[in-house]
Amino acid sequence: MGGMKRLGLIYLAGQNLRRKPFRSFVTVAIVGLAAGTLFSATLLIGSVQRSLEVGMARLGADILVVPEGQAESGEEALITGSPTSFYMDGAILDQVRAVPGIDQASPQLFIESMVSSQCCTGHVQLVGYEPESDFVVGPWLEQNLSRPLDKDEVVIGSLILANKGEQVHFYGRNFDVAGVLDGTGMGADESVFMRMRDAYQMAVESQTEAETTLDIRPGQISSVLVKVTPGTTIDQVAQRIKTGVPGTMAITANELSRSVTDRLSGFLRGFFALDAIVWVMSLLTIAAIFSMIVNERQREIGLIRAMGGSKNFVFRLMLTEALMLTALGGIAGIFVGGAALFIFKAIITSSLGIPYLWPPLWYFGIMMGGTLVLAIITGAIASLYPAISSSRLEPYFAIRQGE
Amino acid sequence: MSEPEVKEVVTGSQPEMTDAVISLKDISKSYKVGPSMVRAVESLSLEIPRGQMVSIVGHSGSGKTTLLSLIGGLTKPSSGRVLLDGVNIWTLSDKDLSILRNKKIGFAFQFASLIPTLTALDNVRLPATFGGATGADEKRASDLLALVGLGDRAHSYPAMLSGGEQRRVALARTLMNEPRIILADEPTGDLDEDTEADILETFHKINSEGVTIVIVTHSRAVASQAQRVLRMHRGHLSEEGEYDG
Repeated sequence: MGGMKRLGLIYLAGQNLRRKPFRSFVTVAIVGLAAGTLFSATLLIGSVQRSLEVGMARLGADILVVPEGQAESGEEALITGSPTSFYMDGAILDQVRAVPGIDQASPQLFIESMVSSQCCTGHVQLVGYEPESDFVVGPWLEQNLSRPLDKDEVVIGSLILANKGEQVHFYGRNFDVAGVLDGTGMGADESVFMRMRDAYQMAVESQTEAETTLDIRPGQISSVLVKVTPGTTIDQVAQRIKTGVPGTMAITANELSRSVTDRLSGFLRGFFALDAIVWVMSLLTIAAIFSMIVNERQREIGLIRAMGGSKNFVFRLMLTEALMLTALGGIAGIFVGGAALFIFKAIITSSLGIPYLWPPLWYFGIMMGGTLVLAIITGAIASLYPAISSSRLEPYFAIRQGE
Repeated sequence: MSEPEVKEVVTGSQPEMTDAVISLKDISKSYKVGPSMVRAVESLSLEIPRGQMVSIVGHSGSGKTTLLSLIGGLTKPSSGRVLLDGVNIWTLSDKDLSILRNKKIGFAFQFASLIPTLTALDNVRLPATFGGATGADEKRASDLLALVGLGDRAHSYPAMLSGGEQRRVALARTLMNEPRIILADEPTGDLDEDTEADILETFHKINSEGVTIVIVTHSRAVASQAQRVLRMHRGHLSEEGEYDG
């Protein structure tokens, strides 16, 4: 004889669910689909938000100034790291600095590397920065390297396939990797940062050393990163730049974030609409299945009542069965949804043009808990009426009708 | 262990003074079947003393099973009172009525009434579970299965048992909580003679220990085993005779 097993509510409910495995599986699957869709969608939102937070903090700028007509490419380079090259006259930097309300302004030079392996270590965004005014790479170097970059040294984004101490080469010039930046999920992860003067030198030497030449004139810049004076309104300063510095576009950090959320929202609208339909479907399916179960088990319900099971017990038994199924569905959905996002992350982010950084554990915990609770609530709501009606069956008639 | 709870139920509802363990006072039961009203039991009164073995005979549809269900509190009378140990059971809350059914009454149904997802042993243990058992009931359940000759089939599921074996498991379950009243609806119907004899022997044994037994049956032979035979006819009850048993 085995150990003394308690014939509790959970055991009885579990045994009941095992008797129709296919039906139980279908219920779990439909709840899992609803829960998985919701979980992956919320995880996607959380990841994009986190990426924006970390990426924007790394960028450290309130406004990005780019040549007129290059706003989209500039955004793209910052958000997804999609390599781009565009230039404007270096004199623009002084004009920007002259705009009232600006605390710091630092130029950057964007160079798109080539796919050719002879030319470059991968197709990436090269970013030249001015060490004297920079507030993007500088603080990181100060913290992690305790010195500025030397000649022909680079720091690379987390997704660049090289390690600290290794060499990378671009346009006929070798660079030493001085450090690898932490991941942000944004364009910086696929960028290589070098001193601007090295970038100019690389451009000059490319005329003789590289198979493809770089056509950059000394003094040219691609963008100006701006930090506004504390207490100044960013939008006001951006407006002043737009009107005061002709031939440029000023993009605020908020606009960058909004651009990302706009890209995401269309996709998510469809996703959530689908999810709402699946939730309603699962609610109706569970309600229908449990009504069927009550019908099928009338005699058993009557027997349980005859043996001393109270109305409350029958109610709880039905509810427990529903909650077990929906909890299982919720857990399955969380795992499958999470795994699907993990697998298809690259496709989703590249097709939507959004940044991505896995959220912290606490966010995972909240999303998992929330999804599970929602799944369980769905089960409770859907099975409420069948559970109540089963508990109200008069034992005598339940037994006779079930015969 | 179960007795104090039953007493609490009984004393909590101010029992009427009566010597009968089962007392029906002018009860009627009607229910709808389709558009028409069926009067299954009409103005029926009955007193059954403690420890008596009573059989109820009658044609199909005469109201025997309804009467048994009224006695056991499985259905509420349209009018009249059902008293068990002097307590009007329909004044009790559902919880107390459930406790009363669990502790005081054992039902033996005319069909194989086992839960298909539980083993024979767990089916027998089930009433103890509703009484709040925590696992120590397993020994008693095994003993009862041995008593009905199925000690070696404890871990078989109902689908693996014959009709007669299922009936015997159900009988063991009926006895699980040591009920003071057993209500049996055709307990030997469609069983072979040997199984029928075994079941009746078990009834006699527990009846000799003071348990009140009410058996609904078509069988003259089974009815004649009781000390008292009642006849149901179109919802009315008449005394047919008393036997020495």
